[in-house]
Amino acid sequence: MNKLFSLLAACGLATSAHAADLTVYTYDSFVSEWGPGPQLEAAFEESCQCDVKFIAVDDGVSILNRLRIEKDKTKADVLLGLDDSLTEVTRRESLVQPHGITLDGLKPELQWQDQDFIPYDYGFFSFVYNTNKVKQPVTSLKALIDSGASIIYQDPRTSTPGQGLMLWVKSVYGDDSANAWKQLASHTVTVTKGWWEAYSMFLEGDADYVLSYNTSPAYHAVTEEKQQYRAAAFSEGHVAQIEVAAISKYAKNPKLAKQFLSFLISPQAQSIIPTTNWMLPVIDNIELPEAFDELIQPKRIGFTPKQIAKQRKSWIREWRSTAN
Amino acid sequence: MALYCQLMRLYLLAYAAIFSLTILSFYGLINFGDEGLDTALLQDSYFYAILGFTLKQALLSALLSVGIAIPIARSLYFLPTLRFKKMFLTFCLLCFVTPTLIVITGLVALLGRSGFLTPSLNSVLNNFTDSTWNLYGFSGILIAHVFMNMPLAVRIIYLQLQTIPDNSWKLASQLKLSRRQCFSIVEWAVLKNSSILLFCFIFVLCFNSFAVVLALGGGPQSTTLEVAIYQALKYDFNIPEALTLAWTQLIVAGGLYWLITRGGGVSWQSIESSQYNWRPNLNVNTRFWFTSLYGFSWLILLLPYLSLLPGLFDSELSSKDLKAIGRSALISIGLAATSASLAMALAFALLRPIRQAALKAHSKRVWLYESLATHSLVAPAMVLSVGLFVYLLPRIDLDRWGIIFVVLLNTALVIPFAVQKLKPRLLQFDQQYDRLACSLKLTQHARWKIEWPFIKEIYLATMGLVLVLAMGDVAIFSIFGTTDWTTLPWLIYGYASSYRITEASAASFLLLMLCAFFLFFLEKLSAHKVARKRLIDHSQPYKGETHA
Amino acid sequence: MLKIQNLLLELDGWPLRYTMQIETGEIVAIQGVSGVGKTTLLNLIGGYQTPDGGSIEWNQQPLTSLAVEERPVSILFQDHNLFEHISVIDNLCLGFEGQAPLAAIKSASSHLDVAQHLDKKPATLSGGQRQRIALIRTLLRPEPIVLLDEPFAELDPLTREKAALWCKEQAKANKKTVLLVTHQDEDVDRMADRRITLS
Repeated sequence: MNKLFSLLAACGLATSAHAADLTVYTYDSFVSEWGPGPQLEAAFEESCQCDVKFIAVDDGVSILNRLRIEKDKTKADVLLGLDDSLTEVTRRESLVQPHGITLDGLKPELQWQDQDFIPYDYGFFSFVYNTNKVKQPVTSLKALIDSGASIIYQDPRTSTPGQGLMLWVKSVYGDDSANAWKQLASHTVTVTKGWWEAYSMFLEGDADYVLSYNTSPAYHAVTEEKQQYRAAAFSEGHVAQIEVAAISKYAKNPKLAKQFLSFLISPQAQSIIPTTNWMLPVIDNIELPEAFDELIQPKRIGFTPKQIAKQRKSWIREWRSTAN
Repeated sequence: MALYCQLMRLYLLAYAAIFSLTILSFYGLINFGDEGLDTALLQDSYFYAILGFTLKQALLSALLSVGIAIPIARSLYFLPTLRFKKMFLTFCLLCFVTPTLIVITGLVALLGRSGFLTPSLNSVLNNFTDSTWNLYGFSGILIAHVFMNMPLAVRIIYLQLQTIPDNSWKLASQLKLSRRQCFSIVEWAVLKNSSILLFCFIFVLCFNSFAVVLALGGGPQSTTLEVAIYQALKYDFNIPEALTLAWTQLIVAGGLYWLITRGGGVSWQSIESSQYNWRPNLNVNTRFWFTSLYGFSWLILLLPYLSLLPGLFDSELSSKDLKAIGRSALISIGLAATSASLAMALAFALLRPIRQAALKAHSKRVWLYESLATHSLVAPAMVLSVGLFVYLLPRIDLDRWGIIFVVLLNTALVIPFAVQKLKPRLLQFDQQYDRLACSLKLTQHARWKIEWPFIKEIYLATMGLVLVLAMGDVAIFSIFGTTDWTTLPWLIYGYASSYRITEASAASFLLLMLCAFFLFFLEKLSAHKVARKRLIDHSQPYKGETHA
Repeated sequence: MLKIQNLLLELDGWPLRYTMQIETGEIVAIQGVSGVGKTTLLNLIGGYQTPDGGSIEWNQQPLTSLAVEERPVSILFQDHNLFEHISVIDNLCLGFEGQAPLAAIKSASSHLDVAQHLDKKPATLSGGQRQRIALIRTLLRPEPIVLLDEPFAELDPLTREKAALWCKEQAKANKKTVLLVTHQDEDVDRMADRRITLS
């Protein structure tokens, strides 16, 4: 056992010993074997003839926290995996620099103008249900909240979908949100820490609806060939989560970093991401499995990153005092 | 004497080592924020609401765990010939160390909305009320906490009951004491201290509970301090608030724990032994109830695990997944074994001054050293790891060396368990043989050769416990770990967060099997001595002092 | 009458056999070299060991099938006769059905010079004091058969005599049937009606 361990130690330490040409901070599932990381790395390394290294942390927020701690000592050239709700804070703490990439190719519905961040995939927060259980799904957020259907969602303090629902409720109900939360609490099964706890409870049959993404059914259809999971389309519109990448302010190789960002929105990368990260591509004309055609295509509503950064705390306070 | 002083210094080094971890992490946070504490939080009713909730759930969980454990432990004790008892006791330990994510999955599969037991529970409930069974909320938190902690309590109380000397029972039967008198005079005397300490220990564990509360709590009304710290540190990066919460937790949980343990020499881990054979006579009725209780306990503890099985059968793993799972399993075992070995060595060193003080009957000093040695039990784990991370990140290349801190922090977190479990046995050795060993002028080496066989059994069993505890870690790995070193629990999270629920359940099952294997294996390894001693039923001849 | 017939117990392949008859109210000293089975005899009568054959009868009623709690027996063990964590007086009040005879306990305590220790914990007392306390309880209990295993071992000669005479007086006054295990001939002379030497 000891020999094996020292062998493992040698391998583990050896792989992280060399300095790469481009260091990318991202989150864990992005670089897992089934995630987009390995394929993207291979494709980009081939085109740039350089060495890319991913450093993975827990999740998007952890990327930001790590940058906050490291400041100018950071190794990151590229940050990949923040989302639109975090862009404003990241910018305010001067952790990124302008990317200088033209944004013409992006889907117009994204309305993306940001000079510091490049979107690489997105999805709409949606309530997912099992057609074998729910025959007549609700068609609006208000209908869902007024219904008696059992619901599992995530804590807005600890998860992005949870925060998404908070923004969703806020933009649909405005000042009346407190009542909506109260109403929702009466038929909420539980509020979980993260996405997967909620989703696996839902798959165990613990709720009629679970808060997830409009792309979730595509996973079940493509990988498991299961057709019974659907996302409910809501007439008020849906809040989107846009995942973004940026060049670190302290990047040692900004030119290569810019090249990587351009690569991320290239057709090559964009056709890898949807079936590995299970989100939608940010450019048009990407060939995708049929299941993606069947996904709901909601209208986008919500707030600007600036509004979110300003209001988030008071909205969370409202949620935690009323959603009991 | 000079040599002795040098050795003593070495032991103090162990104290310095575990303390520097804690101090560095608090220093890291305090220094980074540079803003002091968030005293405004102390005027926020939200703060008192979560403090109140944390206290309430911890108190009730601890009370229920100990309260339910006592009758079960008594049935084990009074029926020495129960079948599979040894296995039951090891299984109890397994329930305690099973990684929380597995417990939660099992409980949801069993008692969730579509759980196996839910329909029958509902039909029972319908006889009394209109409401249907709901796992989520306060009941879910209590059930999970009791499920994880009650078995440990059963084990410890059972071992404690076994320390009742034969003579107490002979005397009690001779004096024809009633069953109530027997309990209050004979049993409660040995149980009182350990029950209170056990209560405290479970209270502290539940007070710091995190994953269970978030998964089964059912909404923001179920927020514990640890959850609030997590939120403040991770999502708001609000270090003053996190520090205020962390100090509160440290003061409340630590204060309570230390106050109650100050009583001195007692320990929540008792000396394991089975050299006592005399049991009072039970009537048929009582035997029946105790046997049923025992069978029922088996069932209750097994059910959540059994309910995980159906999920396993529809999983088809690719060879890539098998490789990833196998590799992570090996890494987990390697890391946990390193942490466990380090923790056992450190615990031994930390116990040295405690033993010295106990020999001189300085109970205050015993308490002091012991509190210092086990302080990481009450320190918020989140603060320890994040604080150390903040301190180290600008100074060390953590992407390269982070794994070392995974090992070190896991070591620090399991040390209290190692110290508490080893202590009674070592103190027993000192009490019985220290004078003899001193008068024989044994060298350190010769003394060790006598001491080792005396403690070996417990040493190995403790090793198994801390190894399995370290193997279940995700909290520390999530901060210091790197993808090159993905551990099994981390892989499970990875699978689960990418819709791969079946792979996750297969990996969970392997993790559980590994935990079980190490516990059973190390207990077996150490158990041959116990097996030799025949447990004797009351109907068989009493083999005590046979000669006048 | 206590009637022991062909009582057999095999210990580590070594058979011990007992046959004896003791009249009600008689005080009998049991003697013999170490290892001959004196304590074992008391354990058999008390129910702490199960015989391999033979019978024990008390007034024609067989005792062997009875549990410890059902036997009309009060025993003084060689040691560990007191619960260490409760006070002396609480210890003395155990083993009586209903109210303990406080007056008798107190007068016996002053007679045997332990009255000043009643509120203490047994652990703080000397071996001799503890032995006298246990002796008081053993004899005051209502059981007709009293088994004493080396009851005076830790007493000084003066106290020894006093305790022995007190025992005899109590036993005779209450018609107790007493089996006394002792190595000292003077105990036998002071207390016993006759002696049985085991071999």
